[in-house]
Order: sequence, then structure tokens, then C-alpha cells
Amino acid sequence: MKTPVSHITILLSILFCLPLISLAQGYQVNLQGQAQQGMASAGTAFIQDAASVFYNPGGMSFLDKSQVIGGVTPTISNGLFTEAETGEYGRTTSPVGTPFAAYGVYKLSDSSKLSFGLGVYTPFGSTVEWEEGWAGRFAVTRLQLMSIFVQPTLSYKLTDAIGVGAGFVYSYGKVNLQKDLPLQFQNGEYGSVELDGTGSGFGFNAGIYFEPVKWLSAGFTYRSQVNMNLNKGMSTFTVPSSLEENFPSGNFTSSLPLPSIVTLGFSFKPNEKLTIALDINHVGWVAYDTLAFDYEVNTESLEDTKSPRNYENTFAFRLGAQYDFTEKTAARAGISYGISPVSNGYVTPETPDANRVSYTVGFGYAIKERLKLDASLLYTQVTRTDKNIETNLEGTFKVIAFAPGLSISYLFK
Amino acid sequence: MMKMKRHIMFLVLIIIASSCKPKKVEVPATLGDIDVTSTVAIGGNSFAGYSDDALHLEGQEYSIPSIILDRMEESNQFNPFTLPYLSSSSNGINLNGDSKLILGYKTDCNNETSLSPIRKAVSGNVDDLNNWVYGTDGPFFNLSIPNLKFQELNDVGLGNPANGIGNYNPWFSRIASDQANSSILSDAVALNPTFLFLSIGQDDITDFAKSGTTGTALPSSVDFFNDLQEVATAFPNTQGVISIIPNVLLTPYFNTIPYNGLTLEADQAVTINNVFNPIGISFNVGDNGFLIEDLSEPFGVRKMVEGELVLLSIPLDSVKCFGMGSIVPIPDRYILTLDEITALNQTLFQYNNEISSYAATYNYALVDATAIYLSLQSGIVYNGVSISTEFVSGGAFSMDGLNLNPIGNALFANQYIKAINDKYNARIPLAPVTNYPGVYFP
Repeated sequence: MKTPVSHITILLSILFCLPLISLAQGYQVNLQGQAQQGMASAGTAFIQDAASVFYNPGGMSFLDKSQVIGGVTPTISNGLFTEAETGEYGRTTSPVGTPFAAYGVYKLSDSSKLSFGLGVYTPFGSTVEWEEGWAGRFAVTRLQLMSIFVQPTLSYKLTDAIGVGAGFVYSYGKVNLQKDLPLQFQNGEYGSVELDGTGSGFGFNAGIYFEPVKWLSAGFTYRSQVNMNLNKGMSTFTVPSSLEENFPSGNFTSSLPLPSIVTLGFSFKPNEKLTIALDINHVGWVAYDTLAFDYEVNTESLEDTKSPRNYENTFAFRLGAQYDFTEKTAARAGISYGISPVSNGYVTPETPDANRVSYTVGFGYAIKERLKLDASLLYTQVTRTDKNIETNLEGTFKVIAFAPGLSISYLFK
Repeated sequence: MMKMKRHIMFLVLIIIASSCKPKKVEVPATLGDIDVTSTVAIGGNSFAGYSDDALHLEGQEYSIPSIILDRMEESNQFNPFTLPYLSSSSNGINLNGDSKLILGYKTDCNNETSLSPIRKAVSGNVDDLNNWVYGTDGPFFNLSIPNLKFQELNDVGLGNPANGIGNYNPWFSRIASDQANSSILSDAVALNPTFLFLSIGQDDITDFAKSGTTGTALPSSVDFFNDLQEVATAFPNTQGVISIIPNVLLTPYFNTIPYNGLTLEADQAVTINNVFNPIGISFNVGDNGFLIEDLSEPFGVRKMVEGELVLLSIPLDSVKCFGMGSIVPIPDRYILTLDEITALNQTLFQYNNEISSYAATYNYALVDATAIYLSLQSGIVYNGVSISTEFVSGGAFSMDGLNLNPIGNALFANQYIKAINDKYNARIPLAPVTNYPGVYFP
């Protein structure tokens, strides 16, 4: 029974939870499957569903049936910046992020050793929007980063204990960066610039799955770095008319590396109902060294920019558990710890990053024999105090994020 | 059961909603040992808000003391003082009757149009200048006036128009409690100050420098010492803050036009050399030092050398089209020579020594203004904004190139706040510099 009250409460809570900054380290988003998300995104050695296309292509061939799954994880986050010496505050007003993931696995027959898979998912991206007039407005007022990976995949079960698989990744991305320029119109308003572009890149995702006994398995995956190249970006400058010649709108090029991720995973089944999974990620963030913008037309005022980022390679540890109450229902919980790739002096308001603990819970329910619902909820909180060496913006970023997600899956006969 | 469920759902949503927004951590501003019963400011241009070569409302609102007091207000322990504001419609006014300078377009003698400071209106609001605002809005706790001469601090009748033009300060006339019988110091004493903001000597140095040191010679450092003593005697038990005089020679007024801005083509060099080679002066193709007056030279002229300064007041059309600086020497009033610079710096050094010892003797907080100008000279980045002493593009100076704009004043005010916090165990938050107005472009 629906009542107006419950609608209003939902609406209110959404209004309170004004939205997002990237949920995981850097601009990486670890939301690729609800069953795995419920377990802190550990899924390299625990093959549950078609999301294995992403989590471990090697384990994909261990799935019994052809199947499809699709889900979405609205991410809601709130950021607060407190400037160190002035005590001034600024909040984010970011929209709800909608990372999604959809996968399909096809087997010629249930006993077939070869399986085909296809995944479409969004492993990197976020939209950060800061309130008008905030202290860091000359660094960023809004950054939208979106990437979609399409991954056709093959997996082969070498023996009853070992499976290998690999997928080719095509990625398409979109970047939109807006910031104020310290050039005032006669009415005191500031000028601004919008950099907008799309790009694409290639990579691969390969994995091995090893299941020597029923109660223990291991997995190893390598997801390659993908370089997103923006070749025909468009810059639009809004400046006082006397300065228009100095800031010509036009094309620019840039690139953004989406780092490689190496994962080692284990999964352990102490009894029939309980599964414990651990994933260790090593993320090659060192690739994000510089954020450069190369403008096609340069002027004395508009030079190419090279902003140092100097990200460092990092680890993340993900521990999750699943308990199967009945054949139809499962409950999940997880905790992860991610080390920030951002060194002191390099924290920016686009990705105010820090070491972080994330907590997750999840629930799975089979509505019918072949139809299953999975839900998850992630919560994380970040606090980082820094002074950026490029902009000298100094203060404390606090971010609280929630990501409730839902997916539906169907098993074919 | 259904109702129960709904209540639980409501509760959960409330918890989510309230826990998903980071909490502000309030660090309360405090005034420490400062006695704010009666805060009084005495200073010149920068304290009165004189900028863009005029007194105008925006300048007043963002004068250095206004910004500091605005930040002190964060403590909620304090009521800011009233200011002798001009009328809000004011285009500003200066002693020549001009309006303030704004950035606009100017066409030069070569018919080239470019961005340049121009007057906002044909004339300034003269009524504002002649209005005795004390009668309606006084008393004012900011007793700062543009063009303050430190030797006039104790002059009774400084604001008396009856003394005749040149013998009184019209800015003080506006705010004096009694035009004929009060002085800046006596008006300040009447306010029983418990905390003083002092900025003395800056306008004296500035005025002398912008005359190309052709104006009335600066008083000696002994005079300066004596006048500071008068201040000390007037306020024997007052807390306060005093600022070192920043070096005006670092402002855009003296650094926008290069000493070697005379660029010659081959044929031009030949023509000029034909005239000047006979008296031992030669010019090259390319950049040359301007030709200037110098009476110590045998023929009364010479080329400028590195380190010498051209003033922003120089008539640029004369330079561009009528041979000033090449065939016609630049008059001394537009130039600071190395000797003049040395002498000026020496006086500045002596004054500043007196200020430092005043602060030490009377236990005032001391503001290191030199550091601010020096850091601006090499350029700083504040929250992603580059700020420097460059004219217009540097963003810190007003359109007169001498006085700071609100952004520059905020940087300066922060230096005061740091000194005050340090001395009086206070925690006054700094001013968010980039929230203040800068240069308005057409």
C-alpha cells in the first residue's frame, strides 16, 4: 500500500542527500554487480552470476547456465569544504550519479566448456558540483566524468578446477569541466570556462579462476589501463568582451588514463551456507601523472596547462561474506579499506580523496526459480585536510556517500 | 503492523538523511585580550578606502579597517564602527573634482584603441566633498582621511575651510566634530579608544614619490619620531596595531612603463643619433633607455639606466607621437632616478625603524607590510587565482596603480589579522580574499 507520506519521506531524504563525489579511490567506481557490492565488491574468486564478466572472466565458464543481469546503483553523496584560515564553508550540490552494469553470458549447453559473455558497465566516473561562489571555484565548479566500457568476453573451462578468460574492452567517455575565471564583468560577476569533450580508448580484462576443492577457490585478474583520448574537445570561454580575443573558444585535446587493476582473490566456504571472500586490488594510479589541456589556439592569456597530479599506485582490500538462509534468500555484508592514490599537496576538489573504509550490506532473493533480485547498500565517509600545491587551496574536505543499488537477473534454461 | 512498518521506514529515512550530510565543525572566532569597547582607526588612503584615484563608496566599504572589523564581527562580541560613507550613487570624488577611474577604452594619438583607466564620469560628486557628514552621522570611529600628512595629525582646524584652499584638508572637514577647533587626534581622544588601528607615514611617502620627488621634501625621521610621540601621549593606555609602511616603489605606478621603452627602427636611430651623437649620447636599433632631464649632466639630458623608474602619470601620447623620451627629454616629475630612489628608500627605512620601535615601546602588534608587497612582486597564487603587482592583470591594485583594490586590501587586512591574533591571543578568521571585488573589465 502506497501512501503520500512514504513518497514525501523518500523525496525528503533525496533532497537532504544532495549528491556525489566518486565513491571509491580517485575517480574509480567499484559498483559493477549487486551481489558483489553487498560483499564490499569482492568477487574475483566467488562466481555468483554474470557479473563475473567483469569480476573474473576466468570464472565465467563456471556458471551453469546462460544468463543476463542488469542493475543500477544511484550514488548519493555530500561534500563539505571548510577553508583552513577563513573558516568559510562550501558544499557540493552534485546530482545523483547512476553507475550501471549489465552482463550476459551465453553457453551452447550447460555442460559446454566455452562460454561467451558481454558486459556493459561504468567503472570510472563521477559528477561533482560545488555551490556557487565557493572558495575553490577557480579550480572547479563542476566536473562530470563518465565512461562506459563495452566488453565482449570469452571464457574456457580448462579442467573442472581451472578456468581462463579474457575480454576486449572498448571504452567511450565524456568529460565536462567547468570553473570560474578570475576575470570580473562590470557587474562583478566572474567569467567562466567550460571544457567539454568525448573520447574513447581500448583495453582488456583477463582472469584465471581456480577451484581445487568445493570449499576453497582463488582468482587472479588483470584489467589493463585504458587511455581515454579527447581529440576534439570544445572549450567555451565566457569573459568580458574586452578580453574575448585573449580567450578564444575553440578546440582542445586532453587525455585521461583509467588505471590498470590487478586483483588477487580468495573465497572460502566454511559450511554449506556461508561464503567468505577476499579481494586485494592493486591499482596502477601512477599513470595519472598530469592533467594537461592543449588548446588549439594559444594566446598570451591562454596557454596550455599542465596540472600535476602525481597519483601513486595503491592497494584496496575487500572482505565480504554471504549467508544463504534458504535456497531463495541470501544476506551479505562487507567492509573494504582503500588507500588513497593522492599524495599530500595534490588533493583537488574534483576528487577530494583519502584513505577510506567502506561498509556494505546486501540481500538476494529469488522471486521465481529463474528470476532473482539483488540489492545492496554502500556507505563511506572521507575526510582529508590538505593544501594544494598548484592552487594553494587549503582546508578540509569531508564527503559522505551512500549507494543503494538494485539488479535483476534471469537464468535461461 | 502496516503502520509500524511505515514508522520504521520513516525513522530509517530520517537517520539516512541526517547522517549523509557532513557536519560543519564550528571553530568560534574569539577576540582574546582585545578590548573592543572603542576601536578607532587613524590612517591615510588605505584606511579611508581611497582608490581608483578617488574616494568612492566601494573603496570605503572595503578599506583595510572595514575588512578587519568585518572579520572581527564573526566573533559576535563586537559592533563595527560607523563610517563616513559617501552617497551610494557616487561616482567618487577627488580633490581635483574628478570621478573615480574605471577600466575602459581609450583611443591614443595613433588612433589605436586599447584598455586603459578612464574617468567614470565627466566630474565627481563635488557635493559629497563639501558635505559635513559629522552633523548627520557622526561620530566616526574610522577617522582616516585620504592624503593624511603625519605632521597634520595634531593640527587644530585641519578641517577648517576658512583657512583657504591648500591650508586645510577637505576630507577631514567632512568628518571633523568641529571644523574650526578639532584635530584628528583630539577627535580620536574624544572617542576614548581602547584599541587603535594606526597607519601613519604611508601617504607622505606616496605623495612625494608620485611627484617624482619634486614635491615638498619629506620631514625628517626626527619629525616622524616626534609626531609618533604625540600619538603615544594622546593614547597612553591603548592597545593597538601599527603597520610598517610598504614600499610604494613596488606598486604598478612605478613599474608599468619600462625604463627602456624607446624602441627604434634603423632609420629612426640614425635620425636621433644625428642630433645626440654630438653631445655624446647614442641610441641603438631596438630598445633604448628614454631620454630624460638631468641637470647634473653637462647638457642637462641623458638616457635612463636600468633600475630607474617611469611614473604612470607620464603623458603617453607625448611619448608615442610627440617625441617625449626621444627628442624631447622626459621632465623630472615623471621619473625617479637612481639617486632619488636611494634617498626615498632611505627615508622609508628610517620611518619604518621608528614605527618598529614605537610598536615595541608601546606594545602594539606590528604588521609586516613589506612582506606582502614583496610576495606580490614575485606573484602569489591564492585559491587558484594569480595575484601580483602587475597593473590591471595582477588584480590587486586599483586603477590608479598606487592604491590597492578590495582584493589587495583583503590580503593586507589578513596581515593585520595575523599580527593581531598573535599579539592578543585572538582567533579572528582571515578574510576570504577572492570573495572581494577586483578589476572590473568592460
